[in-house]
Amino acid sequence: MPTFTRRRFVQAVLAASGTAVGAGAPAVLAEGAPRHGGAGPVIDCHAHLHHHGEPDWKEKDRRLIEAADKLGIDQLCCSILTPKRPASAEGFRECNAWAAEATRRFPGRVLAYCYVNPGHGREALDEIRRGVLDRGFVGVKLYNEHRCTEPVVFPVVELSIELRVPILHHAGHSHYFVADQPRMSDGGHLAELAARYPEARLICAHVGGGGDWEWTIKALRHARNVYLDTSGSVIDEGIVDLAARVVGVDRLLFGCDMSMTAGVGKIRAADLSPADKQKILGLNMQKLLAWRA
Amino acid sequence: MLFDTNAYLGPYAFRRLRHNTAAGLLARMDAKGIDKAAVSSAAAITYRNTQAANEELAEAVRPHRDRLVPLAVINPAYAGWKDDLAICHEEFGMKGLRLYPHWHRYGPADPCCLELVHLATERGMVVSIPLRVEDYRQRSWLVDVPDLRPADLVPLIKACPKTRFVLVNGAGFAGSPLGQAGKDLPGNYVIEISRLSAVLANEIGQLLARLGPDRVVFGTGMPFNAPDPALVKLEVLDATEEVKEQIRWKTAARLFASP
Repeated sequence: MPTFTRRRFVQAVLAASGTAVGAGAPAVLAEGAPRHGGAGPVIDCHAHLHHHGEPDWKEKDRRLIEAADKLGIDQLCCSILTPKRPASAEGFRECNAWAAEATRRFPGRVLAYCYVNPGHGREALDEIRRGVLDRGFVGVKLYNEHRCTEPVVFPVVELSIELRVPILHHAGHSHYFVADQPRMSDGGHLAELAARYPEARLICAHVGGGGDWEWTIKALRHARNVYLDTSGSVIDEGIVDLAARVVGVDRLLFGCDMSMTAGVGKIRAADLSPADKQKILGLNMQKLLAWRA
Repeated sequence: MLFDTNAYLGPYAFRRLRHNTAAGLLARMDAKGIDKAAVSSAAAITYRNTQAANEELAEAVRPHRDRLVPLAVINPAYAGWKDDLAICHEEFGMKGLRLYPHWHRYGPADPCCLELVHLATERGMVVSIPLRVEDYRQRSWLVDVPDLRPADLVPLIKACPKTRFVLVNGAGFAGSPLGQAGKDLPGNYVIEISRLSAVLANEIGQLLARLGPDRVVFGTGMPFNAPDPALVKLEVLDATEEVKEQIRWKTAARLFASP
């Protein structure tokens, strides 16, 4: 059985645009290149580790790393969410402690977002400070407990600016009322929040996560400080191409959100230059993470 | 060799499709190393009279019959469907059907559907059933068509043991009776991979283990879907080259060969 190596993966992703990868390829394409650092990393900006209430969480986490190995993904930016939401303060603190432990279990491989429910006010802010300052978390993860334009979210955004870390925000736009997510944000809400806080760096989650992705992309056209993550199970032809045309390649971040082959395949399918694909695959996220540094 | 069991031509009502002409699809197939594809009309999903779309499809694939295998979309609740079936099979040389029970407002176990499947089976035609067209959450404000669940197809599959079914655009088989061996179901269906996982839960691996290597087939969903995710799945799947060859084309070639 042929081995699916990192070199083959990256070459396939880049060559799919019709441009061959030749001698001038970045160092990271070389066989045996260090998995982390260097030019052209592959960073999944949206991943999840498993809640320790699941009996097989350890095995599932191991499978995620194994999948990343197979697909040539260098780093996974992960959060752990509470199984029931809205999350209690105790619940998100527990999740973040496990996420911190995972960064030690998979050093350099797993980066962590600090997940909070902004409705817990001071406790949420304290948790973000602990995560970023003490545990080296790379950003904040917000889910659907509050729409991002609600004032209760603003202190979290202000703290993210102070700490110079991005916020990955769950989002989606459907043309019907999503009863189980009544306060879900969409690209329009994130654009509104971004206009209120132009210094913030926001990531609109999973353009392929279900919902009208054309709507989402158009809503974000003018929101210069919102990045769009390409993750999600939806593999419609043209998602990444339209996003590159409307939002621009500099604001696109490769992600899978656990739909691993969908995430990789969408980038491979896009009709973009190898240089643009490398930006999406990791250079843009690397730059975003360097904000704090 | 790659045989895509899940491809389409023509326009779709709610989103612009690229690569949706015969020339466009063939160019996309060439770029991705895909040799043959079973195609049906995307327009037929929302046409009232699907036969008009079948006529368009027959015309489009006529110069490319060595690579594009046309499937007829027949609505057994619509007037004249038996005539349409005969024309699609006898005049257009269509190898099979693609059915949209929920889009065309009938149930997969309704008598009209059973009659259509029986008649198609007598003609030696394959029956392909997409469990969805697009992700349900991105649906237009004009429509609300729920996905078929794998379990919804159990009565039809049991009632038509001689039919060769190709189930496409589906997921969740591993947790349904269709994904279990020894569930009193005939082995008359194959499952296409475009929505199945090849890592993490690895639904493809589960189905291979439970049903056997001749029950899983390659498919992309082009041009609705980008083809690459399905190709990546084949690359990362833990399976022998022999099994992958069955998935890539051998099983599909046998299915779509004239009986």
